[in-house]
Amino acid sequence: MKRYTYVWLWQLITGVLIAVLLGIHMVIQHLDKILVFFGVNLGDTTSWSSMIERSRQVTWAGVYVALLAVLLYHGLNGLRNVVLELTTSQRTERAITWTIVAVGILVFVWASYVPIALLNK
Amino acid sequence: MKVLEPRPNKLGITGWFYAGNYKLERYFYILHRVTGLGILLFLVFHLTATTFFRIQGEAVWNNTMSFLSNPLFKAGEYLVAVAFAYHMLNGFRLILQELGFMMGKPVPPIYPFSDALRKKRRWTMAFIGIIVILCVIFFYDFIIGGW
Repeated sequence: MKRYTYVWLWQLITGVLIAVLLGIHMVIQHLDKILVFFGVNLGDTTSWSSMIERSRQVTWAGVYVALLAVLLYHGLNGLRNVVLELTTSQRTERAITWTIVAVGILVFVWASYVPIALLNK
Repeated sequence: MKVLEPRPNKLGITGWFYAGNYKLERYFYILHRVTGLGILLFLVFHLTATTFFRIQGEAVWNNTMSFLSNPLFKAGEYLVAVAFAYHMLNGFRLILQELGFMMGKPVPPIYPFSDALRKKRRWTMAFIGIIVILCVIFFYDFIIGGW
């Protein structure tokens, strides 16, 4: 049972990390018009030039990969908690857990490849 | 040693939506779950756009972005922004309460009994207020962004 306590503790920690990292992401992508009032004009943040300029910076690539990692942990563990309510069988529980871990690793490898590949574009 | 058997899950999926005798916080719990799963679903689409379509270069990216500037997608994006605001601040409230803050002081059970849930609610309402303000700010940004 101790193991599950740490899984839950990490759910709280990743939650706080997501609030910070996704907060930055949301302010830049969706509150850019509000930022103009504070004297920060980012232009069209979804345009190719703006996107590729961010993609070339190691800091941004790091932010995106870190955000992806914590999001996947938090989201998939949340999904797992919801799904596990449907079963009381230890065997099914283990099967679900390892399926979700495999999906998480797969998605992380797939999606973290792109920010790394775009660094030299 | 006696082995404790897990309690049978009587309500099943119905239990996900049925709050029974519980109050407002229980519906917030359901909404927390729905927004969480919604954001996870959005993440699948978002990652598709930012990986498969982004890696193919400028022309494909511009096509994707003009396809996504459809008002329907914009409305969907706004819903995700609202879900994010709700999930973040409700989650923050849940973390604080998990760690024992904002619970109110324990009092001896003397009539008239004070209700722990009602004491917490002041904080809950404060958080809901912040969520509503954030939603309005996001809405303003979406509107002047021309949808």
